[in-house]
Amino acid sequence: MTESSPKQVTFRVQRYDPEDGTSPHFEEFTIPSSRGTTVLDGLIYIKENLDSTLAFRTSCRMGICGSCGMLINNYPHLACHTQIEELHSDTLSIKPLPNQPIIKDLVVDLMPMFNVHKSIKPYIIRQDTELENPTAEFGQLPQELNTFLQFAYCIKCGICVSACPTSASDRLFLGPQALAQCYRYCADNRDDGHQERFHVVDTDHGVWHCHLAGACSEACPKGLDPALAIQLLKRQLASQALGLRKKQPPSSVVPPPTEIKPKIPFPEFTVKGDK
Amino acid sequence: MRTTRLHLLHMFSGAVIAVLLGIHMVILHLDAVLGFFGIDATEPTSWGAMMERASQGIWVGIYIALLAFVLYHAFYGLRGIILELSPSVRTGRIITRVFIIVGIITLIWGAYVPIALLSS
Repeated sequence: MTESSPKQVTFRVQRYDPEDGTSPHFEEFTIPSSRGTTVLDGLIYIKENLDSTLAFRTSCRMGICGSCGMLINNYPHLACHTQIEELHSDTLSIKPLPNQPIIKDLVVDLMPMFNVHKSIKPYIIRQDTELENPTAEFGQLPQELNTFLQFAYCIKCGICVSACPTSASDRLFLGPQALAQCYRYCADNRDDGHQERFHVVDTDHGVWHCHLAGACSEACPKGLDPALAIQLLKRQLASQALGLRKKQPPSSVVPPPTEIKPKIPFPEFTVKGDK
Repeated sequence: MRTTRLHLLHMFSGAVIAVLLGIHMVILHLDAVLGFFGIDATEPTSWGAMMERASQGIWVGIYIALLAFVLYHAFYGLRGIILELSPSVRTGRIITRVFIIVGIITLIWGAYVPIALLSS
Protein backbone atom coordinates (compact mmCIF):
# COMPACT_ATOMS: atom_id res chain seq x y z
CA MET A 1 0.00 0.00 0.00
CA THR A 2 1.44 3.36 -1.02
CA GLU A 3 1.20 6.41 1.22
CA SER A 4 -0.36 9.41 -0.60
CA SER A 5 1.87 12.50 -0.68
CA PRO A 6 0.82 15.22 1.79
CA LYS A 7 -1.13 18.17 0.40
CA GLN A 8 -0.72 21.72 1.59
CA VAL A 9 -3.52 23.20 3.71
CA THR A 10 -3.79 26.80 4.83
CA PHE A 11 -4.76 27.50 8.44
CA ARG A 12 -6.26 30.97 9.02
CA VAL A 13 -5.75 31.26 12.76
CA GLN A 14 -7.20 34.05 14.86
CA ARG A 15 -4.46 35.67 16.90
CA TYR A 16 -5.17 37.85 19.91
CA ASP A 17 -3.12 38.82 22.91
CA PRO A 18 -4.94 41.15 25.31
CA GLU A 19 -1.59 42.27 26.73
CA ASP A 20 -0.50 43.58 23.28
CA GLY A 21 -3.47 45.87 22.98
CA THR A 22 -4.04 44.84 19.35
CA SER A 23 -7.44 43.73 18.16
CA PRO A 24 -8.03 40.11 17.05
CA HIS A 25 -6.64 39.43 13.57
CA PHE A 26 -5.95 36.43 11.35
CA GLU A 27 -2.58 34.93 10.43
CA GLU A 28 -2.12 32.32 7.72
CA PHE A 29 0.06 29.23 8.01
CA THR A 30 0.56 26.50 5.43
CA ILE A 31 0.95 23.01 6.78
CA PRO A 32 1.35 19.59 5.18
CA SER A 33 -1.70 17.37 5.60
CA SER A 34 -2.19 13.73 4.75
CA ARG A 35 -4.84 11.16 5.53
CA GLY A 36 -5.52 11.10 9.28
CA THR A 37 -3.98 14.50 10.04
CA THR A 38 -6.11 16.27 12.61
CA VAL A 39 -6.52 20.00 13.10
CA LEU A 40 -4.63 19.60 16.37
CA ASP A 41 -1.73 17.96 14.49
CA GLY A 42 -1.69 21.02 12.22
CA LEU A 43 -1.61 23.40 15.17
CA ILE A 44 1.21 21.41 16.80
CA TYR A 45 3.10 21.57 13.49
CA ILE A 46 2.69 25.36 13.44
CA LYS A 47 3.87 25.64 17.05
CA GLU A 48 6.89 23.41 16.47
CA ASN A 49 7.96 24.67 13.04
CA LEU A 50 6.40 28.01 12.11
CA ASP A 51 5.42 30.13 15.12
CA SER A 52 6.16 29.06 18.66
CA THR A 53 4.12 31.95 20.10
CA LEU A 54 0.80 30.43 18.98
CA ALA A 55 -1.26 29.58 22.07
CA PHE A 56 -3.75 26.73 22.20
CA ARG A 57 -4.79 24.21 24.82
CA THR A 58 -4.32 20.48 24.36
CA SER A 59 -3.72 17.42 26.46
CA CYS A 60 -4.94 13.90 25.65
CA ARG A 61 -5.16 14.11 21.81
CA MET A 62 -7.95 11.51 21.81
CA GLY A 63 -11.20 13.37 22.58
CA ILE A 64 -11.25 12.57 26.27
CA CYS A 65 -9.91 15.61 28.13
CA GLY A 66 -11.97 18.30 26.36
CA SER A 67 -9.08 20.78 26.26
CA CYS A 68 -8.83 21.54 22.54
CA GLY A 69 -12.32 22.89 21.81
CA MET A 70 -12.19 25.60 19.15
CA LEU A 71 -14.19 27.08 16.29
CA ILE A 72 -13.09 25.29 13.13
CA ASN A 73 -14.65 26.63 9.91
CA ASN A 74 -17.13 28.49 12.12
CA TYR A 75 -18.34 25.39 13.93
CA PRO A 76 -17.23 24.29 17.39
CA HIS A 77 -15.19 21.09 17.36
CA LEU A 78 -12.51 19.33 19.34
CA ALA A 79 -9.33 19.91 17.29
CA CYS A 80 -8.01 16.44 18.11
CA HIS A 81 -11.27 14.84 17.01
CA THR A 82 -11.47 16.64 13.65
CA GLN A 83 -9.53 15.36 10.69
CA ILE A 84 -8.58 17.97 8.10
CA GLU A 85 -9.67 15.64 5.30
CA GLU A 86 -13.27 15.45 6.53
CA LEU A 87 -13.67 19.25 6.31
CA HIS A 88 -13.24 19.11 2.47
CA SER A 89 -11.46 22.45 2.33
CA ASP A 90 -7.92 23.61 1.59
CA THR A 91 -8.33 26.64 3.83
CA LEU A 92 -9.43 26.27 7.43
CA SER A 93 -10.56 29.11 9.64
CA ILE A 94 -9.62 28.50 13.26
CA LYS A 95 -10.93 30.73 16.02
CA PRO A 96 -11.33 30.43 19.80
CA LEU A 97 -14.64 29.16 21.18
CA PRO A 98 -17.27 31.90 21.22
CA ASN A 99 -19.26 32.90 24.33
CA GLN A 100 -16.12 32.60 26.47
CA PRO A 101 -13.55 35.29 27.30
CA ILE A 102 -10.28 34.91 25.34
CA ILE A 103 -7.06 34.53 27.31
CA LYS A 104 -4.75 34.37 24.29
CA ASP A 105 -5.09 33.23 20.66
CA LEU A 106 -7.16 30.01 20.82
CA VAL A 107 -7.16 29.69 24.61
CA VAL A 108 -10.42 30.71 26.27
CA ASP A 109 -11.20 31.16 29.93
CA LEU A 110 -13.44 28.26 30.97
CA MET A 111 -13.66 29.40 34.60
CA PRO A 112 -17.09 31.08 34.15
CA MET A 113 -18.45 27.77 32.84
CA PHE A 114 -16.81 25.79 35.67
CA ASN A 115 -18.21 28.22 38.26
CA VAL A 116 -21.73 27.74 36.89
CA HIS A 117 -21.12 23.98 36.83
CA LYS A 118 -20.08 24.15 40.49
CA SER A 119 -23.17 26.15 41.40
CA ILE A 120 -25.53 23.30 40.49
CA LYS A 121 -23.76 21.04 43.04
CA PRO A 122 -22.56 18.32 40.66
CA TYR A 123 -22.19 15.58 43.24
CA ILE A 124 -24.39 13.15 45.17
CA ILE A 125 -26.22 14.88 48.01
CA ARG A 126 -27.85 12.83 50.77
CA GLN A 127 -29.41 13.59 54.12
CA ASP A 128 -27.96 10.53 55.83
CA THR A 129 -24.30 10.10 56.82
CA GLU A 130 -23.59 7.26 54.42
CA LEU A 131 -21.29 9.43 52.28
CA GLU A 132 -19.21 10.51 55.28
CA ASN A 133 -19.09 7.06 56.90
CA PRO A 134 -19.72 4.56 54.12
CA THR A 135 -20.81 1.07 55.14
CA ALA A 136 -21.73 -0.45 51.78
CA GLU A 137 -22.59 0.42 48.18
CA PHE A 138 -25.78 2.22 47.11
CA GLY A 139 -28.24 0.09 45.17
CA GLN A 140 -28.78 1.01 41.52
CA LEU A 141 -30.46 -1.06 38.84
CA PRO A 142 -29.13 -0.97 35.26
CA GLN A 143 -32.35 0.74 34.08
CA GLU A 144 -31.93 3.39 36.78
CA LEU A 145 -28.38 3.97 35.59
CA ASN A 146 -29.59 4.31 32.00
CA THR A 147 -31.79 7.30 32.90
CA PHE A 148 -28.70 9.50 33.21
CA LEU A 149 -25.73 7.48 31.96
CA GLN A 150 -25.15 9.37 28.68
CA PHE A 151 -25.01 12.69 30.57
CA ALA A 152 -22.29 11.31 32.84
CA TYR A 153 -19.98 11.20 29.79
CA CYS A 154 -19.72 15.02 29.66
CA ILE A 155 -16.05 16.07 29.35
CA LYS A 156 -16.73 19.76 30.14
CA CYS A 157 -15.11 20.99 26.93
CA GLY A 158 -17.46 23.99 26.68
CA ILE A 159 -18.46 23.25 23.07
CA CYS A 160 -22.18 23.08 23.92
CA VAL A 161 -22.01 26.48 25.63
CA SER A 162 -20.23 27.91 22.57
CA ALA A 163 -22.83 26.50 20.21
CA CYS A 164 -25.79 27.70 22.31
CA PRO A 165 -27.55 30.78 20.84
CA THR A 166 -29.03 31.67 24.23
CA SER A 167 -25.59 31.67 25.87
CA ALA A 168 -24.50 34.03 23.07
CA SER A 169 -27.16 36.60 23.88
CA ASP A 170 -27.62 36.09 27.64
CA ARG A 171 -24.36 36.07 29.58
CA LEU A 172 -26.21 35.12 32.78
CA PHE A 173 -27.79 32.01 31.22
CA LEU A 174 -26.61 28.90 33.05
CA GLY A 175 -25.86 27.14 29.77
CA PRO A 176 -26.51 23.62 28.46
CA GLN A 177 -23.50 22.05 30.21
CA ALA A 178 -24.59 22.97 33.74
CA LEU A 179 -28.28 22.30 33.08
CA ALA A 180 -27.57 18.86 31.62
CA GLN A 181 -25.38 18.05 34.62
CA CYS A 182 -28.14 19.26 36.92
CA TYR A 183 -30.47 16.73 35.33
CA ARG A 184 -27.77 14.05 35.51
CA TYR A 185 -27.61 14.35 39.31
CA CYS A 186 -31.34 14.94 39.84
CA ALA A 187 -32.09 11.76 37.87
CA ASP A 188 -29.63 9.71 39.90
CA ASN A 189 -31.60 7.48 42.28
CA ARG A 190 -28.78 7.66 44.86
CA ASP A 191 -29.20 11.44 45.12
CA ASP A 192 -31.49 13.44 47.36
CA GLY A 193 -30.39 16.97 46.47
CA HIS A 194 -32.88 17.97 43.77
CA GLN A 195 -34.41 20.70 45.95
CA GLU A 196 -31.04 22.40 46.34
CA ARG A 197 -30.42 22.23 42.59
CA PHE A 198 -33.94 23.29 41.60
CA HIS A 199 -33.35 26.42 43.63
CA VAL A 200 -30.38 27.26 41.33
CA VAL A 201 -31.96 26.46 37.96
CA ASP A 202 -35.45 27.84 38.67
CA THR A 203 -34.45 31.44 37.92
CA ASP A 204 -34.95 34.01 35.16
CA HIS A 205 -31.70 32.92 33.49
CA GLY A 206 -32.11 29.24 34.31
CA VAL A 207 -33.69 26.23 32.70
CA TRP A 208 -36.79 28.00 31.30
CA HIS A 209 -34.60 30.34 29.26
CA CYS A 210 -33.55 27.46 26.99
CA HIS A 211 -35.11 28.00 23.55
CA LEU A 212 -34.64 24.38 22.52
CA ALA A 213 -32.50 25.32 19.52
CA GLY A 214 -30.74 21.95 19.89
CA ALA A 215 -27.36 23.38 18.84
CA CYS A 216 -25.74 21.94 21.98
CA SER A 217 -26.77 18.38 21.10
CA GLU A 218 -25.65 18.79 17.50
CA ALA A 219 -22.23 20.11 18.47
CA CYS A 220 -21.40 17.82 21.42
CA PRO A 221 -18.27 15.86 20.43
CA LYS A 222 -19.19 13.01 22.81
CA GLY A 223 -22.61 12.53 21.23
CA LEU A 224 -24.56 13.56 24.32
CA ASP A 225 -27.96 15.19 24.07
CA PRO A 226 -27.91 18.14 26.52
CA ALA A 227 -31.11 19.53 24.94
CA LEU A 228 -32.91 16.34 25.97
CA ALA A 229 -31.54 16.63 29.51
CA ILE A 230 -32.82 20.21 29.72
CA GLN A 231 -36.29 19.15 28.58
CA LEU A 232 -36.32 16.32 31.13
CA LEU A 233 -35.20 18.78 33.80
CA LYS A 234 -38.08 21.09 32.80
CA ARG A 235 -40.43 18.14 33.23
CA GLN A 236 -39.08 17.47 36.72
CA LEU A 237 -39.51 21.14 37.66
CA ALA A 238 -43.04 21.30 36.22
CA SER A 239 -44.03 18.12 38.06
CA GLN A 240 -42.64 19.54 41.28
CA ALA A 241 -44.45 22.88 40.81
CA LEU A 242 -47.77 21.15 40.06
CA GLY A 243 -47.34 18.72 42.96
CA LEU A 244 -47.25 15.70 40.63
CA ARG A 245 -43.74 14.60 41.48
CA LYS A 246 -43.64 11.29 43.29
CA LYS A 247 -41.62 11.45 46.48
CA GLN A 248 -39.08 8.69 46.29
CA PRO A 249 -36.46 8.21 48.95
CA PRO A 250 -32.89 7.88 47.64
CA SER A 251 -31.66 4.35 47.22
CA SER A 252 -30.45 2.66 50.36
CA VAL A 253 -27.22 0.78 50.77
CA VAL A 254 -27.04 -2.78 49.60
CA PRO A 255 -25.28 -5.29 51.81
CA PRO A 256 -22.30 -6.93 50.14
CA PRO A 257 -23.09 -10.30 48.54
CA THR A 258 -22.68 -13.23 50.88
CA GLU A 259 -21.98 -15.70 48.13
CA ILE A 260 -19.23 -14.93 45.67
CA LYS A 261 -19.28 -16.85 42.44
CA PRO A 262 -15.94 -18.44 41.63
CA LYS A 263 -14.08 -16.81 38.76
CA ILE A 264 -14.01 -18.62 35.45
CA PRO A 265 -10.63 -20.29 35.24
CA PHE A 266 -8.14 -19.24 32.56
CA PRO A 267 -8.13 -21.58 29.59
CA GLU A 268 -5.14 -23.77 29.01
CA PHE A 269 -2.42 -22.07 26.99
CA THR A 270 -2.56 -23.39 23.46
CA VAL A 271 0.99 -22.32 22.67
CA LYS A 272 3.36 -24.06 25.00
CA GLY A 273 6.60 -22.36 25.83
CA ASP A 274 9.91 -24.19 25.38
CA LYS A 275 10.82 -26.19 28.43
CA MET B 1 -40.51 27.17 42.06
CA ARG B 2 -41.66 30.73 41.29
CA THR B 3 -40.16 30.93 37.78
CA THR B 4 -41.50 27.49 36.91
CA ARG B 5 -45.03 28.44 37.98
CA LEU B 6 -44.85 31.73 36.04
CA HIS B 7 -43.58 29.90 32.97
CA LEU B 8 -46.28 27.24 33.21
CA LEU B 9 -48.85 30.04 33.48
CA HIS B 10 -47.29 31.60 30.37
CA MET B 11 -47.80 28.35 28.46
CA PHE B 12 -51.31 27.88 29.86
CA SER B 13 -52.24 31.46 28.91
CA GLY B 14 -51.10 30.75 25.35
CA ALA B 15 -53.48 27.80 25.14
CA VAL B 16 -56.35 29.82 26.67
CA ILE B 17 -55.73 32.68 24.21
CA ALA B 18 -55.98 30.23 21.32
CA VAL B 19 -59.40 29.10 22.58
CA LEU B 20 -60.78 32.55 23.46
CA LEU B 21 -59.41 34.16 20.31
CA GLY B 22 -60.87 31.26 18.35
CA ILE B 23 -64.31 31.99 19.84
CA HIS B 24 -63.89 35.68 19.05
CA MET B 25 -62.82 35.03 15.45
CA VAL B 26 -65.55 32.50 14.73
CA ILE B 27 -68.38 34.59 16.18
CA LEU B 28 -67.34 38.02 14.93
CA HIS B 29 -65.34 37.52 11.75
CA LEU B 30 -66.20 34.08 10.39
CA ASP B 31 -69.99 34.41 10.38
CA ALA B 32 -70.02 33.09 6.82
CA VAL B 33 -68.53 29.83 8.12
CA LEU B 34 -71.16 29.71 10.88
CA GLY B 35 -73.86 30.27 8.23
CA PHE B 36 -72.51 27.27 6.34
CA PHE B 37 -73.21 25.15 9.44
CA GLY B 38 -76.74 26.59 9.72
CA ILE B 39 -76.03 28.96 12.62
CA ASP B 40 -77.55 32.37 12.03
CA ALA B 41 -75.19 35.16 13.08
CA THR B 42 -76.46 38.10 11.08
CA GLU B 43 -74.13 41.10 11.15
CA PRO B 44 -72.22 40.18 14.34
CA THR B 45 -70.15 43.37 14.14
CA SER B 46 -73.18 45.68 14.07
CA TRP B 47 -73.82 48.08 16.99
CA GLY B 48 -76.97 46.25 18.05
CA ALA B 49 -75.31 42.83 18.08
CA MET B 50 -72.36 44.20 20.05
CA MET B 51 -74.64 45.83 22.65
CA GLU B 52 -76.56 42.60 22.95
CA ARG B 53 -73.38 40.63 23.65
CA ALA B 54 -72.25 43.30 26.12
CA SER B 55 -75.39 42.73 28.15
CA GLN B 56 -74.57 39.02 28.60
CA GLY B 57 -72.28 38.06 31.49
CA ILE B 58 -70.62 35.22 29.58
CA TRP B 59 -69.36 37.58 26.88
CA VAL B 60 -68.12 40.11 29.40
CA GLY B 61 -66.26 37.27 31.13
CA ILE B 62 -64.72 36.12 27.83
CA TYR B 63 -63.59 39.66 26.93
CA ILE B 64 -62.00 40.32 30.33
CA ALA B 65 -60.37 36.86 30.47
CA LEU B 66 -58.98 37.32 26.95
CA LEU B 67 -57.59 40.72 27.88
CA ALA B 68 -56.03 39.41 31.11
CA PHE B 69 -54.41 36.37 29.48
CA VAL B 70 -53.16 38.38 26.47
CA LEU B 71 -51.62 40.99 28.77
CA TYR B 72 -49.90 38.34 30.90
CA HIS B 73 -48.69 36.35 27.90
CA ALA B 74 -47.41 39.41 26.03
CA PHE B 75 -45.70 41.12 28.95
CA TYR B 76 -44.12 37.92 30.31
CA GLY B 77 -42.80 37.07 26.84
CA LEU B 78 -41.52 40.60 26.26
CA ARG B 79 -39.87 40.56 29.69
CA GLY B 80 -38.06 37.33 28.76
CA ILE B 81 -36.76 38.86 25.52
CA ILE B 82 -35.57 42.05 27.25
CA LEU B 83 -33.91 40.03 30.05
CA GLU B 84 -32.08 37.93 27.48
CA LEU B 85 -30.84 40.90 25.47
CA SER B 86 -29.79 43.03 28.45
CA PRO B 87 -29.12 40.54 31.22
CA SER B 88 -28.74 42.11 34.64
CA VAL B 89 -30.50 41.67 37.95
CA ARG B 90 -31.30 45.40 38.12
CA THR B 91 -32.84 45.46 34.63
CA GLY B 92 -34.89 42.40 35.54
CA ARG B 93 -36.25 44.08 38.65
CA ILE B 94 -37.13 47.33 36.85
CA ILE B 95 -38.71 45.59 33.86
CA THR B 96 -40.80 43.34 36.12
CA ARG B 97 -42.18 46.24 38.15
CA VAL B 98 -42.91 48.39 35.09
CA PHE B 99 -44.73 45.55 33.34
CA ILE B 100 -46.77 44.67 36.43
CA ILE B 101 -47.89 48.30 36.85
CA VAL B 102 -48.61 48.84 33.12
CA GLY B 103 -50.40 45.46 32.94
CA ILE B 104 -52.67 46.17 35.91
CA ILE B 105 -53.53 49.67 34.65
CA THR B 106 -54.30 48.33 31.15
CA LEU B 107 -56.41 45.50 32.58
CA ILE B 108 -58.49 47.87 34.74
CA TRP B 109 -58.86 50.34 31.88
CA GLY B 110 -59.82 47.61 29.38
CA ALA B 111 -62.17 45.79 31.78
CA TYR B 112 -64.00 49.03 32.71
CA VAL B 113 -65.90 49.27 29.39
CA PRO B 114 -67.57 45.79 29.37
CA ILE B 115 -68.31 46.01 33.10
CA ALA B 116 -69.86 49.47 32.66
CA LEU B 117 -71.94 48.23 29.71
CA LEU B 118 -73.07 45.18 31.66
CA SER B 119 -74.18 47.21 34.68
CA SER B 120 -75.90 49.92 32.60
